Amino acid sequence: MNAKFGKSGFLTRFYLGRDWRQILFWIIGLAGLMASAAAKFDGLYGTEKAMASISATLKTPAMVSLFGPFSSAGELNPAIIYAAEMMVFMGLFTAMMNIYFAVRNTRAEEDSGIAELISAHAIGKQSQLLAATLELIVINLLAGIIEALGLQTAGMTGSSLEGNWLFGLGLAAFGIMFGAFSLLVAQLVSSARSATMGSYLVLGILYVARMGTDVQNPDYTWFTIFGWIEKLSIYVDNNWLPLGLMLIAAVLTGSVSFAISNKRDVGAGVLPQRNGRQSASVFLAGPFSLVARLERTSIIVWLISLPLLGASYGSIFGTVGDILKTNPTMAKLIGSAAAAKAGQGIVLSFAATLCIVFALVATIPALITVLKINGDEKKGYLEQVHARGISRLRVFASYTGISLITGTIGLLLGIIGMAVAGNSTMSHPIDLPRYLRAFVGYWPALIVAVGITLMLVAFLPRLQQLAWIIPIYGMFSLYLGPLIDLPDWTKNISPYGWVNNVPVKAIDWGTAGWMTALGAALIVIAYLGYRHRDLTIN
Amino acid sequence: MAVVSINHLKKHFGKFQALKDVTFSVNAGEVFGFIGPNGAGKSTTIRTLLGIIRATGGSAEIFGQDVWQDAVNIHKRLAYVPGDVYLWPNLSGGEAIDLFLKLNDQKHNEKTDELIKEFDLDVTKKCRTYSKGNRQKVALIAAFATDADLYIFDEPTSGLDPLMEEIFQKNVLQLKAKGKSVLLSSHILSEVERMCDRIGIIRGGKIIETGTLDEMRQLSRTSVTVTTRTPADALAKLGAVHNFTPVAGTTTKYSFAVDSESLGNVITELTKFGIVTLQSTPPTLEDLFMRYYNQEEGDQIER
Repeated sequence: MNAKFGKSGFLTRFYLGRDWRQILFWIIGLAGLMASAAAKFDGLYGTEKAMASISATLKTPAMVSLFGPFSSAGELNPAIIYAAEMMVFMGLFTAMMNIYFAVRNTRAEEDSGIAELISAHAIGKQSQLLAATLELIVINLLAGIIEALGLQTAGMTGSSLEGNWLFGLGLAAFGIMFGAFSLLVAQLVSSARSATMGSYLVLGILYVARMGTDVQNPDYTWFTIFGWIEKLSIYVDNNWLPLGLMLIAAVLTGSVSFAISNKRDVGAGVLPQRNGRQSASVFLAGPFSLVARLERTSIIVWLISLPLLGASYGSIFGTVGDILKTNPTMAKLIGSAAAAKAGQGIVLSFAATLCIVFALVATIPALITVLKINGDEKKGYLEQVHARGISRLRVFASYTGISLITGTIGLLLGIIGMAVAGNSTMSHPIDLPRYLRAFVGYWPALIVAVGITLMLVAFLPRLQQLAWIIPIYGMFSLYLGPLIDLPDWTKNISPYGWVNNVPVKAIDWGTAGWMTALGAALIVIAYLGYRHRDLTIN
Repeated sequence: MAVVSINHLKKHFGKFQALKDVTFSVNAGEVFGFIGPNGAGKSTTIRTLLGIIRATGGSAEIFGQDVWQDAVNIHKRLAYVPGDVYLWPNLSGGEAIDLFLKLNDQKHNEKTDELIKEFDLDVTKKCRTYSKGNRQKVALIAAFATDADLYIFDEPTSGLDPLMEEIFQKNVLQLKAKGKSVLLSSHILSEVERMCDRIGIIRGGKIIETGTLDEMRQLSRTSVTVTTRTPADALAKLGAVHNFTPVAGTTTKYSFAVDSESLGNVITELTKFGIVTLQSTPPTLEDLFMRYYNQEEGDQIER
């Protein structure tokens, strides 16, 4: 036992001690979001009328695709609406938190060589994995308990003790399950980057699958794993079965991880490593092509995922815009031509919400690339490049260039994927240029996001990870903000919030212009800062 | 003519003074050994020379150009190998070597192939699978294959086996034969002794000595073991004699160290006692460096 798991407790305490700031940040973020939203719901949906109206909205296919099915047959109350709006969203964030911690304490440690140092001490072969697992369990339980207590304190009308605890503990189990998935991915691949990417791929595929089944037939959602979180049916049936399923899935995945970790070498993955080229291709000739080559796999994955994400949302446009089905009375009343027009309107406003999602998702690879300016520096990769006849401008411009190109193409492909798939399902398709208004609208926001991140890279390299607040906050304020009725200023502190409601409305060229100029100015200032400071060396 | 000239260079990281006063120059066509204990400021000096970090005070020039302002121009004529080589894990060794050459507008040529063969490197392996020594080989091959005027090596052989170490030295001596300048930071004293024309010793962020090895030997002590006809304990009183110890079990055998420049005087003094046997060992490099590394002349390493 000692040979395998010796000193696991010590390591767990060590990890918790080292990570407590990050843990606090995530838990306060998640539980704070839940509790503050819960506190508002009685005010928001206190009246029958408000509840009826939101319930109608939540039943539209567009909303179902984003938040999960809303099928409350019985009496409505704010708590039921709250659970319907928050569950999928909170699940997504909880899964992200777990991917972060799971990779951080396994693959990232192996990449940096710390795992090797630790293994050389009198600890068990599996202790590091066990400690990482225990840390995840502690974090999730802590988050779950605090979330449940937060709901208890908020005391929404219609909430119950059982429902509150099922919500919190359900999220904890969901988190532990995704943490286990991520730990498994970390065993299979051979670097932290691949582990994070692989984990997000799993999350993305399950999330999109859930969306598909929710719109078509919610019964199939049981097969999507992600959908288990909806099946908890909080405040309605309070079903504990999915929580059990999550824990079983976590245990099964966990056992596989431990079995693999028992056999594999430290620092290596299970998937085979191929040999590389004898010499560099003609395309690998400078810093720009170097960054492109290094990011190649990641760029390809993003540029395939975004149009697929777009297409999977687009594939439900036919259902979303079909007023004859969703609201037959109204369709009859206004006639078929007007109904088609109204259907297009609904689709466009759904597309407007989706384009925010694409803009945020396209921002992720863009930020990952610019954050590597310091990341690669710290790892020592760039020392040789700087020592050659390469100016800092070229290094800076190469990373920034690849970042903007990936982000731009990603956003464009996401929107096109949505438009093409959407139009193929609609009886009255919408012109592509109309959809592309969203591209012109959100592209400047992408530039500003990259600009702000580069400012951090140049002036506050130690705090550069704070850049992730930009897309995460953007997601929160624009996706969820309107539903929980946040004031307008909360939307306006995110660059994505400055964009008007494209593609429903026409492009606001003035805003697009000054935002692009602002983004460009931030990039130039960041370069000047980067040019004049010490490079981030270890 | 000086290829590298550094004058009163200072570098502070916040309150910590990494470099307090570094002054030395590397002349054209010479191999300059840059040595000092861990944490003395060797790598900081080299990184300042490369324009990776910016000096707080003083000046540093390479080829007569400012290392910060004209970094790119300087780097076109320079090759560098760090002590810890980190390479992109998903590139192959061959790709990394070619990339480094291209970054200096140079091409993979026969010399490169020769070096790959000499250093016995499998260039098709991904860099993530390389050991420390193999990563160093990648950087060394790229540097030696680069046609530059100045070569900077920062503890380049710390991960190499003795066979490879030999090949490294051979290549450095070839550079020297071609009239190239080399700045070599190293802990391997035999390497320094064999190749370096001049040496600079840094300690606690200050250059404490520069000169040729012979000059430094002059400043150091020779150890002497002597047997005399009559007891010679009086020698202990001489200022140039240190650590005077009678050998246990004898009455007329002693060992001591002599300041090298006073060796003649001490021998003259010794003859008065009648020399039976005399064994004198010039200071080994190790002795020399121990003395410099340890000496405490009131300037202890400050934090």
